[in-house]
Amino acid sequence: MLPLARRLEALLFISPRPIAADRLAEACACSEEEATGALAALRAEYAAGAHGIEVREVAGGFTFAVADDCAEDVRRFTGAERPDELTPALLETLAVVAYLEPVTRAEIAEVRGVSSEYALGALEERGLVEQQGRADTPGTPVLYGTSGRFLKLFGLASRDDLPPLEEFSLGADEVDEIRSRLHANAERRAQ
Amino acid sequence: MRAEASAVAAPPVALELDLDVFDGPFDLLVTLILRDEIDIWEVRVSRIIAEYVLHLADTGEFDLDATSQFVVLVAALLEMKSRLLLEEEVEEELEDLDPDEAAQQLLERLVRYSQYRNAAGGLREAWEAHSARLYRNAPVPAEFLRRRVADGAFAASSLADALAPLLREPPVPDTSHLADLAVSLVKELRRLRLILDDEGEFTFAGVAPRDRLERAVTFFALLELHSSGEARLRQTRHFGDIVVSRITVPAPVTG
Repeated sequence: MLPLARRLEALLFISPRPIAADRLAEACACSEEEATGALAALRAEYAAGAHGIEVREVAGGFTFAVADDCAEDVRRFTGAERPDELTPALLETLAVVAYLEPVTRAEIAEVRGVSSEYALGALEERGLVEQQGRADTPGTPVLYGTSGRFLKLFGLASRDDLPPLEEFSLGADEVDEIRSRLHANAERRAQ
Repeated sequence: MRAEASAVAAPPVALELDLDVFDGPFDLLVTLILRDEIDIWEVRVSRIIAEYVLHLADTGEFDLDATSQFVVLVAALLEMKSRLLLEEEVEEELEDLDPDEAAQQLLERLVRYSQYRNAAGGLREAWEAHSARLYRNAPVPAEFLRRRVADGAFAASSLADALAPLLREPPVPDTSHLADLAVSLVKELRRLRLILDDEGEFTFAGVAPRDRLERAVTFFALLELHSSGEARLRQTRHFGDIVVSRITVPAPVTG
């Protein structure tokens, strides 16, 4: 292994949370490019299947994670439980927050068409969503955004890692179908 | 329907109303509104409140339970009425819209919403793939975190330097914007005792200063004189002047 890769390995081993590439470079007194190159080598060394742990980029940095096929053993040993499932309403609210953050309660309700008070509270309680100050608009409403825990639980390196929202747009045929249904309804009401 | 429940549980509000649309006890009016026999549109809640205030003034009694009950019922009426107002507005808005226009607006909202619903599906996949993963999160043992500091790295005087600013007397806060009381209780007591000794009797109005706060101090001093048994306070009617007279202590017998 490269000498620098070994030093980075030691840093990742000792850190309880993900470390960003620039901080790793700083700690090793090397350039960020060198650190990134060594990290790639380290990740190759810990490629899936080679060890019980692997190197992952998540929540804004690099960290060790238990290999997925060893997770059950670790859970049995530590008693750690899997996080509770998210209901469709919670996932939907989370999607709105993740794509629009920072976002106010009213904006979330506007997109979803229903009050999202409960869902937001539940997401906050689970540490997936957090308050991020207040908007500079009348009433100074609270702004919500996603947390570092959100990135970890969804396996995202950063918020930019979310697939673009356009990927989830409806297809032209789906839009047409909704449109014709709505027009049929509107005509029925007009009569 | 909370109003209905509490109307059953709580004591009735004894109030006779004489409104344009209704003449009779308030409780009956509430019951009739709840049964849809009187349209709340026709009822002016402000009139009910005005009548109740008059009723309170007339009876001169303030029954906390009955009044709370009244406030609850009136609040329920206002809530019903405001809801009706809002519903009316929504309906009008929809009626104003051309059906095609309404459908177009709804379509846009649905298309926007669907994006997020689908994105939620994407999040669910990510959740299923990643949420069970265990990341390194054990806290670092304390001895690994502590940085070694060479012996003698800090001079003993640095402790004194750190302490010195704490020992310095902080500047006296500027209180010039606060008006000083012209009288203190002790001074005022002394003044009143002198008057009492000279004249044997005086009135509150005669000795009290103009300023409200200073008058309060004077009054307090009077109470002090009274409780120490030096003076007797008399007031012949409510809000009347107070006559203060010296309680003569029998002179000690000498000889």
